[in-house]
Amino acid sequence: MSALLEVRGLSKRFGGLTAVRELDFEVRVGEILGVIGPNGAGKTTTFNVVAGAYRADAGEIRFAGESIAGLPPHRIAARGVMRTFQHNRPFGGMAAIDNVLVGAHTRFRRRLWSIVLGGAREEETRQRERAQELVQFVGLGEAVAADVTTLSFGQGRMLEIARALAGEPRLILLDEPAAGLTPAECTRLADIIRGIAARGIAVLLIEHDMHFLLALAHRVVVLNFGAKIADGLPDEIRAHPAVMDAYLGSHAAHQ
Amino acid sequence: MKSIALGLGAAIALSALAFLLGDYHNDVYRKLLLWIALALSYNFVFGICGQVTFSHFAFYGIGAYAIVILLFTAAFPLPLAIVCGVALCVALALAVAIPATRLEGFYLALATMAFAQLFIVVLNEGGAITGGTGGLASYRLPPVLGLDLSGRAYTVVIVLVLIGTAAVLRRVDHSWFGRACRAVRDNPEAAAAMGVDVARTKVIAFTLSSVLAGIAGMAYAFVDNTVNPPIFGLENAFLVLFMVIVGGSGRHAGAVVGTVLLYLLPFILSPLIGQHHALVFGVLMVTAILLQPRGLIGLYDRLARR
Repeated sequence: MSALLEVRGLSKRFGGLTAVRELDFEVRVGEILGVIGPNGAGKTTTFNVVAGAYRADAGEIRFAGESIAGLPPHRIAARGVMRTFQHNRPFGGMAAIDNVLVGAHTRFRRRLWSIVLGGAREEETRQRERAQELVQFVGLGEAVAADVTTLSFGQGRMLEIARALAGEPRLILLDEPAAGLTPAECTRLADIIRGIAARGIAVLLIEHDMHFLLALAHRVVVLNFGAKIADGLPDEIRAHPAVMDAYLGSHAAHQ
Repeated sequence: MKSIALGLGAAIALSALAFLLGDYHNDVYRKLLLWIALALSYNFVFGICGQVTFSHFAFYGIGAYAIVILLFTAAFPLPLAIVCGVALCVALALAVAIPATRLEGFYLALATMAFAQLFIVVLNEGGAITGGTGGLASYRLPPVLGLDLSGRAYTVVIVLVLIGTAAVLRRVDHSWFGRACRAVRDNPEAAAAMGVDVARTKVIAFTLSSVLAGIAGMAYAFVDNTVNPPIFGLENAFLVLFMVIVGGSGRHAGAVVGTVLLYLLPFILSPLIGQHHALVFGVLMVTAILLQPRGLIGLYDRLARR
C-alpha cells in the first residue's frame, strides 16, 4: 500500500522546549494508524502541525505526494485532511446538522452571486441529505435538528466526527476521540472508526487510552518526549519493552 | 417559490400601508423602512459574522452622497450612477476590510470608527463637491421610465429596497456562506479546520453588508431631498447597534423588532418626557445586555417554548 501522508524529520520547538524531535511516520491509504504516548509525548503537537495549526520548525509533510507543510489549516482541509478537536468545539447556536454542513464547506461549488440570484437550492438540498446521512452514521439521528448546546459530551464528540467526515476527507485526524467517553460510547466510537476506515478513509488516531487504541489500529507509532520510540503492529507494541517502560513506568515492564 | 411568494406578499402589504398613511406618516414610515434595511444588513456583519464595526452608517452616507454627486454634479444617467455608487461602496469596503480583518474585536471597532469619523471630515471639508457643512440640497429625483417617483410612489421604491435587502441576506444566510460566517463568529480556529478561509469570509461579509447599507443610503438621498454631514454621524452608528442588540443579534426578526421599537420609541416618549428619551434608550440597552443578551426575540423564544 502506498503512503497517503508522509512525515519526515518533523521537529517542533516551543521556546526552549522541543515538543517533537525528528519524527518520521506515514499513514497508508485506508489504514488506521494509531499514535500513542504518555501525556506530553508530543502527540497533539504532531497532530496540530499536520493539520496546519502550528508551523513545523523542520521536516517535510507530504499528503498525496504534495508538500502541505506551511499551508494554512483551511487549505489543508480543502485538500482532504479533516480533523476533530480533543476538546469539542461545536459552533454554538446552530443545529447539529448545520454544524455538519460547516464541515462540508469545501464541497460547495456554487459561488456567492449564484446564491444571491437564488440558484443554489439543488446543491444545498443535496449536501443537506448527505449531512443527514453522516449524522445517522455517527448515531445522532434523533438529534439532527437539536441545538448543539443541548447535546451531551459524548454526542458532541460524535458530532465532531460527522462534521469532519462532511468534508469528504481522504485522511481524518482524530485527536483523543475516546477521552471522556463512557465505556458504552467507546464501543460505539470504535465501531464508527472501523466504519470510517471501511469507507476507504485513512485514519490518524491519537490516543491516550492504550487498550482502546491497540484494539483498533492497524499499525502503531509510540512517542515519548517528542521522539518515536517504537512502531509496528499492535501485538509487537504490546510486547515492546521500551513501550511498557515509557507508558507504565519501568516497574511494570518487569512484571 | 415559497420564499418568492412570501417576498411578494410582504412587498404588497408594506406598500399598501403607504396608501393608508398621510404625508407626514409616510415620511416617518419611509425612514423606518430604511432603518430596518440598515439594521438587517448590520445584523449580518455584527450578529451573524460577529464583527463589531462602526462604519455601517458611514456607508449609508457614502451611498447617499455618491448618488447625488454622480447624478447632479457629474450628470450621469441614473442606472450608471447606481452602478458607480455600488462600485464605490465595494472599493471602500474592501479598502477598510482587508487591513481591518487582521484586527480582532476592539481594534476592528476602532478602525471602522476612525473611518466613519474620517468620512464626516471629508464631507465637511469637501467644498463644492460635498457642499461642506451645509451638505447638498434642492435636487429632485428625475422621472424614471416616465414615472414621477415621489410621495407614496417613492415609499414603494423603499419597500422594494427593503424587501431586496432582506431577500439577499436571507438567501446568503441560508447558504454555506451564512454558515461559514456563524462558524467564524463562534470559533474561528474550528472554522479554519473545516476549510473556511476566516479572513476572506470576514472581508466578504463586511463588504456585502456595507454595500447593502450604501444602497439603502442611495434610497435615502431622495427621502428628504437633502444630504448633510450630521445625519451620518457616529450617533446613528451606535443607534443601529442598539437596535440589533435590543432586538436580538444574529436573528433577522430581532433586527426588525429592535428597529421598530427603538425608532418609534422617541415618537411616543418625546411628548411625555421631551429629550430625556435618550435616558430610556440607555436603560433599555443596559437591561438588554445584562438580563436578556439574546434580545427581545430571545425572550419571545423562551416564552413560546413554555
